[in-house]
Amino acid sequence: MSANTYDAIVIGSGISGGWAAKELTEKGLKTIMLERGRNIEHIKDYVNANKDPWEFPHRGGRTQEMIKDYPVLKRDYPLNETNLDYWVNEKESPYVEVKRFDWFRGYHVGGRSLMWGRQSYRWAELDFEANAKDGIGVDWPIRYKDLEPWYGYAEKFAGISGNRDGLSILPDGEFMPPMEMNVVEKDVAKRFKEHYKETRNFVIGRTANITVPHYARTNCQYRNKCWLGCPFGAYFSTQSSTLPAAMATGNLTVRPWSIVTKILYDKDTKKAKGVEVLDAETNQTYEFFAKVIFVNASTFNSTWILMNSATDIWPGGLGSSSGELGHNVMDHHLGVGASGTVEGFEDKYYFGRRANGIYIPRYRNLNGEKRDYIRGFGYQGGGGREGWSRDIAEMNIGGQFKDALTEPGTWTMGIGGFGETLPYHDNKITLDKTVKDKWGLPVLAFDAEIRDNEKKMRIDMENDAKEMLEAAGVKNVKTHSGNGFLGRGIHEMGTARMGRDPKTSVLNGWNQVWDAQNVFVTDGAAMASTACQNPSLTYMAMTARAANYAVEQLKKNNI
Amino acid sequence: MNRRAVIKNLALVVSSAVLLPSCLKNSGTPAIALKHLNINSDQEKLIGDICETIIPKTNTPGAKDLNLHLFVLKMLDDCYTKKDQLTIVKGLTEFDNVVQKKYNQSFSDLNIKDREAVLVEIEQNAKKAGGAKTPAGRNTKPQKTVDANPLFAFYWAIKQQTLFGYTTSQYFMTKEIVYELVPGRYNAHFPVKNLKQT
Repeated sequence: MSANTYDAIVIGSGISGGWAAKELTEKGLKTIMLERGRNIEHIKDYVNANKDPWEFPHRGGRTQEMIKDYPVLKRDYPLNETNLDYWVNEKESPYVEVKRFDWFRGYHVGGRSLMWGRQSYRWAELDFEANAKDGIGVDWPIRYKDLEPWYGYAEKFAGISGNRDGLSILPDGEFMPPMEMNVVEKDVAKRFKEHYKETRNFVIGRTANITVPHYARTNCQYRNKCWLGCPFGAYFSTQSSTLPAAMATGNLTVRPWSIVTKILYDKDTKKAKGVEVLDAETNQTYEFFAKVIFVNASTFNSTWILMNSATDIWPGGLGSSSGELGHNVMDHHLGVGASGTVEGFEDKYYFGRRANGIYIPRYRNLNGEKRDYIRGFGYQGGGGREGWSRDIAEMNIGGQFKDALTEPGTWTMGIGGFGETLPYHDNKITLDKTVKDKWGLPVLAFDAEIRDNEKKMRIDMENDAKEMLEAAGVKNVKTHSGNGFLGRGIHEMGTARMGRDPKTSVLNGWNQVWDAQNVFVTDGAAMASTACQNPSLTYMAMTARAANYAVEQLKKNNI
Repeated sequence: MNRRAVIKNLALVVSSAVLLPSCLKNSGTPAIALKHLNINSDQEKLIGDICETIIPKTNTPGAKDLNLHLFVLKMLDDCYTKKDQLTIVKGLTEFDNVVQKKYNQSFSDLNIKDREAVLVEIEQNAKKAGGAKTPAGRNTKPQKTVDANPLFAFYWAIKQQTLFGYTTSQYFMTKEIVYELVPGRYNAHFPVKNLKQT
């Protein structure tokens, strides 16, 4: 075995890459994890995690300089002073927008597992059946029962807190004790139940924040500073969870600054033999070899790697024989919701900063209902009480005003929808060879948008939000409806979809590239539809399942 | 209560490490190094006096004690567009003129009551005009747009950043309200009366 030869290569170190590394190393495979960006060491490198608000020069805000340097990130909430270093340098790594696409990336060890929203929901049976039923895209080659044990496996290790709500649309999992609703949320939940019986539900969010100690991790301390990196390891990230487990096996090598430029394909064996790596610091090229390769570079970068590989055999890249590689770009469309004020709890507050909210699972197009669109949406939201914003008489300055600033403001309750986006062949990414990144590599061009089905759904998303809040006693309800550009959900999916037929899909039911069966893609790229639940838990389950299968097949010499 | 243990027992001031104390500087330049904003020391003093009128020293520290005007200047300097900065500085000059015209004195020479009257009048006029939204009190982020009227733009910007600076200051968060870096728990039934420091 040469120095650059391993049993397995994992490309990427985010949520799915971390899981691949953990599973493969625990099953005895000598594994190298290749990460294109810098290392971020757990706790030690969370430089802002223990700062108080007043220690940030702009108290967490955004400066004009940041806005100039981050023309994409500035489009939404992620651009801020507290964790700027976790987001990709847009000058070094540009991309092309044929149509606007908000691509928020993190290039470092841990990837976006450090900054993710942590909401963790299982998909339901109907989510896997939907494509076949509607004749949309391709049928999922797997069903809920295929993932069910792996969901449980992933939940138990990652640590998901949640309530067992007993809803078929949102299957229960192996939960830690749920976080608590505040008084206003409890009241809304009660009224919700009275009004909608159980046709619509209002439940506490299920989140990858642990509520009891777990392995070497301390339970959530209610700081709500998760995306700075948690010194307590209280939320699931590569650093807090999968990486230590993988390192403990003694089988893992992590190599930061390693941009995988292509997968090396062997025509004779019809398998991949390794990868080519460009060292991001030295610009040296290296090759690494392995029996099995897991591609977990994040949805579109996984597809980028495939597109840039085996082009002498397939001009469109490895896995392009179906003509679907790079197609069916998906995300959850959002930016639609409502909020209002709640009366009657003026003497109540809450203490601690709960990094979680409430969830309203999908209820549309179920039980025989047929809207003028298919599929559905869920809502995330929460009740809270923060800014003092009342006008006291005429004097909004001075000593009394100053004293009044310590009084909490009105209670508010808000919800925002996350809608399913259908797979459209015409929503695509392509390699633009005329634009190069810092390392001279071609970049991705995005040509994707929401269409009729999503636009119709957004009307319901807005109206329903208002209706539900009002039904629950919320006053002064105002709706909002944003532009719905894709990418903003930061739930990128598709472009290397799973399927039952190599003619119409890139991956089979075990996440293997049809054209090179020792290459597994187990991040968002593999998705054949989006459902409306946050997808990361499904990536975890899918990755663990695929890794288990890969090792079995290796043992049988099938791959 | 163990929160006492986590509250760092520092002196009141120090609103932020990057802010320099505004002392011993009597030249024409402001006490804080500004990159974009063209403000002289008189104008800085004016802003300081406006901040102090909004958050005055009472039996608790005021804007000047907490160096809030330096925070305001830093925010104006770093977080507003060139265009908005020009509008705001124009509004500053207008503010000065309005006061001179009405009182034949500069704002800084007015007594507290008159200072308050000036600000209240501008605020009421700005609200009537219905331009930019009234800044909210606690933990507000900078507004995306400033008022088209320079005087109102100037006033709202100063007020908003003063309140933002005050309510996120170490003094306010550790001495006025109950704040813990590491709450360690979530209490969903926390009475409001326990929110304030006593």
